Amino acid sequence: MTMTHKIRTRARVESAAWFLSPFVVLLAAWLVAIPALDVSPRTFPSAPAVWSALVDQTAAGELIPHVLSSLGRVFLGAGIAVAVGVPAGLLMGMSAALSTFFSPLLRFSVALAGIAWIPLATLWLGYGNGAVVFVVFNAVFFAIVYNSMLGVRQTGTSLLRAARSLGASRWQMFWEVYLPGALPNIVTGLRVGLGFAWRGLIAAEIIATSTGLGYTLFLARQYYETDVIILMMILIGVLWLVMDRLLLAPFERRTIQRWSGERKARA
Amino acid sequence: MSFLTVDRLNQVYTDVYTNEHTVAIDDVSFTIPAGEFVSLIGPSGCGKTTVLNIVAGFVEATGGAVQLEGVPVAGPGPDRGVVFQDFALFPWKTVLANVAFGLKMNGVGKAERQATAQEMIDLVGLSGFERKFPHELSGGMRQRAAVARVLATEPSIMLMDEPFASVDAQTRRVLQQEVLRIWDLRRTTVLFVTHDVDEAVFMSDRVIVLSTRPSQVQADIRIPIERPRSWTDMHTNEDFVSIRRELMGMLGVEGAEVAP
Repeated sequence: MTMTHKIRTRARVESAAWFLSPFVVLLAAWLVAIPALDVSPRTFPSAPAVWSALVDQTAAGELIPHVLSSLGRVFLGAGIAVAVGVPAGLLMGMSAALSTFFSPLLRFSVALAGIAWIPLATLWLGYGNGAVVFVVFNAVFFAIVYNSMLGVRQTGTSLLRAARSLGASRWQMFWEVYLPGALPNIVTGLRVGLGFAWRGLIAAEIIATSTGLGYTLFLARQYYETDVIILMMILIGVLWLVMDRLLLAPFERRTIQRWSGERKARA
Repeated sequence: MSFLTVDRLNQVYTDVYTNEHTVAIDDVSFTIPAGEFVSLIGPSGCGKTTVLNIVAGFVEATGGAVQLEGVPVAGPGPDRGVVFQDFALFPWKTVLANVAFGLKMNGVGKAERQATAQEMIDLVGLSGFERKFPHELSGGMRQRAAVARVLATEPSIMLMDEPFASVDAQTRRVLQQEVLRIWDLRRTTVLFVTHDVDEAVFMSDRVIVLSTRPSQVQADIRIPIERPRSWTDMHTNEDFVSIRRELMGMLGVEGAEVAP
């Protein structure tokens, strides 16, 4: 037990090290290149400048509220998208009529999901949280619906037959078979959707609010604060990675990988 | 008393592009009395699995009728438990939850369904594997779990669709004997589809032979071999050898010898 535990811990540390290695290389290149090429801070900040921007912003008590308001919008928008999109996608997968009817609409919306809705969102909901959350929701929703539907379609015929012959009602089929059967695809949809969510968030925050990382990122442009711009970009990337690694990956490990015994290649 | 009645079953497929009709099942009728173990064999593509799917209610026949205990079959239901070739266990449920699934669907309380499931797990020899997920089991063990899942709901008839085709040859022999052992204890009526003549003769009270497509019942042969049966003395059993030869002849497998 302790032996396998040790091996597993070592494997985790190793994979984390591999994951971090390109960032370490990038950081080193950054540290060397900026002074060596004598780049103006107006063009691109040095690594120490970004670090001090982080320290200053934190000390001024500005950073944490921006992070929290952005995170809150992502969670709320994505949460609503999951709550509405998963049932909608499963129902579409269960019913040929529904999926035939809605599929063209779904495809049509792919290019428009998220950012293109900002003008309407601000007209409907005004400037503020509502519009941003709507855009995040909209960006995630279509990925979730589409992948949930796909998940149902990929559930094996004999599993469906087995469940029905064992007496499952339509409602029970939904909860006991279609939902867990589609879970791998739902998680994929969530991953893809959350990527869209962050992009939508940044765009919406630039236009529709006066808080959040996207807002700060854009505001800094007016004062040529490239250090703040880069800091915000790094923060957004890090937050996305942390969300993916600390929320989605463990969820996948505990469900899909435990059921299938496969270690899926991490995207 | 005839328990399952399959009456003038007919299945025609229509190609949606060419509008051509293919008669898969021409005219298939047979009955199974309660408690009998009946195999359905025939050349590949003869529609034996289609017959089973119609009895199970998965496929609607274009003609004819299926009655179970005098009631026409419409759609799938727990009175007809199905064992699938690919096991069809829910990968997200443990062995215990898989076996208890049918009971849960039919509103049996948690304590009671777990107790029944445990009983079935013990019966099929899977004690100690209750908390495992299907992927952690061998093919033979998965099929034992699938049999337990069907038995748990006490179906009127058990429909088995080439249940041992996905396991290796040795495990198959063991499972055949195991299923007979369990069947001896419960005497559930069984409709068993297989392409394996040896298996059909070894397992069954009766073997129904379907002809090539469009299929009809070519022969209906009673197997008088005494039970309990075991593979150890089967190849020297005169009835086994002669019925097997007769069936092989019907299926066009001339001169085939009994595998050691």
